[in-house]
Parts: sequence; C-alpha cells; structure tokens
Amino acid sequence: MPRFFRQPSRRSPAADASADLVVAADAATDADATRPRIRVNAPPILLTDSPDPAIATAVADLGGWRVVVCAGERELARVVGEAPDVRAVLVTTDNPNALRDVFERARPRGVPVIVGCADETMRRRAVELRADEWYRTPADPVEIAGRIRSAITRAVPTPAQVADRVDKVEYEQMLYDFLTGLPTLPVMIERSRQLIKERGELVVLYFNFVRYSKIEEIYGWEKLDAVLETTASAVGEFLRDTSLRGSRVMVSFTNDDDFVFFHVPAPGVDAASDAEINEITGRLQQFVAGRIEEAHGEEIATLFDIYVGSAHVYYNPKTRLERLIYRGIREAANAAKSVEERERARKVADLRTALRDRDVYVDYHPIVRADTQEVFGYEALARGVPRSLRSPEVMFEVAAEADLIWELSRLCRSRAIEGMAKQIAAGQLLFLNVDPHDFSDPEFTATFEREVANPERVVIEITERTAIKDYPKFRERLKAFREQGYRFAVDDAGSGYAGLGSIANLEPDFIKLDMSLINCIDTNFIKQNLVETMVRFANDQKAQVIAEGVERAEEMETVKSLGVHLVQGFFIHHPGKQEGSRAVPTPAVAKAVPG
Amino acid sequence: MKAGTLPTILVVDDNQDNTDIIQHYLEVRGYPITVAHNGDEALALFEKVRPSIVLLDVMMPGRDGWEVCRLMKQHRELGRNVRIIMVTALDEWDDKRQALQTGADDYVEKPFDLSRLASAVERNAALLPTAIAP
Repeated sequence: MPRFFRQPSRRSPAADASADLVVAADAATDADATRPRIRVNAPPILLTDSPDPAIATAVADLGGWRVVVCAGERELARVVGEAPDVRAVLVTTDNPNALRDVFERARPRGVPVIVGCADETMRRRAVELRADEWYRTPADPVEIAGRIRSAITRAVPTPAQVADRVDKVEYEQMLYDFLTGLPTLPVMIERSRQLIKERGELVVLYFNFVRYSKIEEIYGWEKLDAVLETTASAVGEFLRDTSLRGSRVMVSFTNDDDFVFFHVPAPGVDAASDAEINEITGRLQQFVAGRIEEAHGEEIATLFDIYVGSAHVYYNPKTRLERLIYRGIREAANAAKSVEERERARKVADLRTALRDRDVYVDYHPIVRADTQEVFGYEALARGVPRSLRSPEVMFEVAAEADLIWELSRLCRSRAIEGMAKQIAAGQLLFLNVDPHDFSDPEFTATFEREVANPERVVIEITERTAIKDYPKFRERLKAFREQGYRFAVDDAGSGYAGLGSIANLEPDFIKLDMSLINCIDTNFIKQNLVETMVRFANDQKAQVIAEGVERAEEMETVKSLGVHLVQGFFIHHPGKQEGSRAVPTPAVAKAVPG
Repeated sequence: MKAGTLPTILVVDDNQDNTDIIQHYLEVRGYPITVAHNGDEALALFEKVRPSIVLLDVMMPGRDGWEVCRLMKQHRELGRNVRIIMVTALDEWDDKRQALQTGADDYVEKPFDLSRLASAVERNAALLPTAIAP
C-alpha cells in the first residue's frame, strides 16, 4: 500500500478542496451531494489595516481577489500569521514596531508586503524593512493595484513553500485524474472504508474501455483527452438516473483508460443483483457510446467498445479492506475480460459472414485542393455493415486476429475499385489504402491487374505506422507498380519518430499528414512548424502534401497558409451532405485504414 | 485578460544571466515578469503568480523543462489556460514530436534571439482567452 495515502490531507488541504465528483444519494446524509460538486480553491485574500476605499477598488481590479480589512495593525499582524489564503498584505501603520511585526509574520510565510507611506520617514522605514512594494498615500486605485500586482509577482517563495507546493502539485496528480477530476483508487478506498464496514457489502463494477489508446494514436492526445472527458461526464450523468441511486455509488478512475465503480448499498437496501447490474451496464454502454457519438462523431464512437464486469466484496474483519477491494477489482476486471472475449468471438463470426456475402460498403471521402476547394480525388474507406464492424480499425483488428486479413483486404479493395466508375468523375483520383503486409499476398498483383482499368487514376496509400522490414525489396515492388502508372502516398506521415528520412525512401507522390498534427494546429506553433517543414520537404521532392482530419475553419485557414496542397476532413466533408457515399451516416472524421 | 493589460510571464532558466536579460527585455515592453531558476521553484511560482505564459528552459538540473511543462499543463485549475513556450534547440523532427507530447505550445530556439523571443511571446499572447484575470 503506497504510503502517500494520508499525507496529502495533512500537508495540503487544497487537495481536498479541489474539484471532485461524487455521485452519492444517501437521501438523509448526502442530500446536497446528488449533483457533482465543484469546489474551487478559496479566493486569494489581501489583508490590510486601512479602510481606504481606493484599496478595495484596486483589489476588485485584480480580479478574483478578496480584501479583508483588519481593525488596527496588531490585529493585522496576528491574522497574517494565521489565515491560510492571505496572498498579500498592505499595511499603512506609522507605528514602527507594529510594522516590523507585520513583516516578521509575513516573511516566513512568503506573503508579500506592500506599504502605503504617508511621509518620507515611513518610506525610508519601508525600504529598510525591504518591503516588496511601497507607494505614497493617498494614491489612486490604479497605482495601488499595480503595486500589489508587482509585489505578488516579485515575492520569492521560501524554500519550504517551494517544496510544499511542488509536493501538492504532484500529489494532486496522483490522487485525482486531472482531466475528469475523478479521485483515483487510493482516495476511493480511504473514502469508502467506513461505509463498507457499516454496510458489510460492496459491488465493484469494472469498465474496460477497449481501444481508447487507439484514439490517441490516430488523432493525438488532445482528442483522447476530450473523449475521456465526455466519457466521465456521461458516466456521471447516467449514474445519477439509475436504480443504483438508492445506494451510494462512487466513481474512480484508474491509471489508464478504465473506470472502477464502487456501489455500496444504502442502509436497509439490498445490493443490486447481478441481473440488475447486467441490465444497467448494458444501458450504460449505449448511453456512453451515444454521448460520444454526439460529441465526437461516429468514427470515434464505433472505434472502441465498453465491457463491464462486476464482483461482490463482502466485508471480512479478518482481512484488510484494501486487499478485499483490490481482489474484487481483479475479479471484476477478469469478468470484463471474459465479456470481451465473448464479444470478440461474435465479431469474428460477423466478419466471416461479411466475407462470404461480400458485404462491406465503401465511403468515398473527398480530397480537395486547399486553394479552390475543388475535388481532387477520393479516399476509399471500407466499412463493415453490422455496427460491431462499422469502424475500419475494429474490422481490420478482428480480421488480423482471425487470420482473415488478406481476404478482407482483397474484398475491400475490389469493392472500392468497383465503385470507382460510379462514384468518381473522370480526372479525379482514387486513393486506396494498402497495408505494407498486403504486398506479400500472393494474389496482390494479380487482383490489381484484373480489376484496375486505369492505373494512372489510382493512388496507393501506404501507412507509415506499419514498419517496413525489408526496404530494398519493398521498393522493388513499388517500382513495378509505378511503372504501370500507379502513384503512391505515404499515409499518417509524421506519426512516428522516424522523421523525414523514411518518407523520402518511398519517393511518394503524396504525403498525407498524420491527423494528430492537424488537430488544433491553429493554436499550436510547434505543429505549424512541423507541417511547414513537411511542406518544404515535399516541395523539394516534387510531392504534394495532404492534410487529413481538418475539422474547423481555423485549422483549414492555418494549413492553407502553411502551403499544404490538399485537404481532407470533416470541414469539407460533412456527414449528411456527402457526395459519393452510400446512404449511411458518414463519420465526422475520415480515418485511413487498410481497405 | 483585461484590455490594456499585458499577460504575466513566468521566465524559467537555471542561468541567472539569461533570466536577467529576458526579464529586462520583456519588462521594458510592459510585461509583468516573474523569474524562477529551477523546476521546483517554477512550479511553486506557477500556482502563486498564475502566469498566462511560461517561458521554459529545457536543460535544467533536477526537474527538467519537459517535466515542468507536463506538470503545468496537467494542473487542474491553471493547466488549460497557460501557454508554454519552450526555450531549447529543437532540431530534429523527433524532438518536436516529443515537445507536443508534453503539451508545449511553442518553442524558441536556443541560443535565443531576443526579437524572436518577443515575437513568440506576442503570438502566444494573442491567443490567450480573454477570460483570464490578469
């Protein structure tokens, strides 16, 4: 058991005072707690011995500060030494001893002192005492505010304060998930200790969110953070409306991307039965997926799955509570795992049926010129028909595990090529995803020769994410295709750490930038710099750069100004007003996957 | 940020000469400046001063700039609004990718050129949400 459990509450009251989400509905005891409470740190206080209204005006000007006027300088000195939220002191007394007293109390706490001086003697005294700032009274609020501000920024914290604050920052991050504000497991165990003893029983629900990490890999961490936030708030909202409400339910967030719930039955109420839990978790999965689809689009919502497992923990005075709880969590996690395996078997069956019936459909995502927004070509994106296989990422993952990857790749390719005549106007190109492994499919070249009538209209996309083992051999293969008129694009360029060298090796005609570089590019100058570098590199290589995943007008403007040649994404391809796709809701963001 | 008030900047560098130069240069331009000389001090001052922009040197003894950047960006109250400019030589593609992972918003090459530093500060100040109290 890590030893930091209790430390923070002793050392830093703020850990407790910061935002935290507790879903609790013990009607009698926690009437207020049915809603998540967001408690923020108390406002910083300026302490003064002067009733001068200019000071109050100045403090109002600082924004978020509070002024406390003490009755006399003695009172002031006393409060400085005691009140926790005092961040600055403004003293105006002409009593030298009292003034010294205030400094002596304020110094060890690192509180800056500003002196309002009525005359030259006071000014000299203030300087001798090394006041952080001083001003001549009377002064207008603007000057006073300026003095306070500069004193605050100038004051150097004491070494003890440095250590304490750094500890606090670190502990907070260990104890609360910074994104969702949910307490981590250690906090939850401490909080529920007493309750579990009283009620004798606890149900642990383990929520396994599969493939959340993929979001980070594809779209970047900003997107993952946003999705996690949506998830946490959806879960919180859902729980407030369930039949678990009659009991105390707490939410915790484990290190990575799984959630753990503790459900402690209310007094006199039975713990939820397994059937009840199954029913609730089934609904919760749908609720969360729905919320994520609303906020982030179908592409992301269908990318991951949620599996829930549960376990009962009974209080046993002989066994330490932590052990009981950790054991319960492990059991619940295993249960979630077995649900996952069952679902996976079903997905494999779905996939076999799809392969037999040649039942995948193809979305054609337009790629437009950055300057004119005129359609340049389409990326073909194959999807499964059942919802469980809607996401190409998921479909290909299932295929890889079931050893059906070549069959699936072939099917997706030929469907994409079949649709070409109908969906794509003359002069426009078809961008076709090919996994580097597909090149070792013995039928690979043959299918292309058989199906593609006009190779000069086909661009083969090769992802940078899959490592290419044998470069010389791979380049030989590319060369053979190139000679027939095919062109090549490097997909997800810049996703790895490999840099530009590996891209240059493939001599691509197009470079598709990784989506994580485009997300929020308008406010991140490092991303802008990277894209600029890539554009310069592409221009040298006579290649064109495609920005994928452009969702907002600001992102569009930025990539355009950086010289990106072609653009793809939600911003130009709205679900609903799609050209060239079948009448199935199109995801907000296109993601290239082998297909 | 209030109209007419320049954002507060926290300057972090273990080299006092550097911080002196930057502090003077930016103060003359009207920015309120606070200085820290190591990562821990920077984190402590971060909570106290609540800067809108942090100029963060990467190579420091003890907690380095990446670590400090990550901790600041994950700060529950302040992390979202602060803009962090790394002061370092990010030559390679790899270095810049890594900078993105820590949450950094911008970087200025080291050894730094003061006018570039000022323009980095200006372009980041322009993106600050208006709701931040000075």
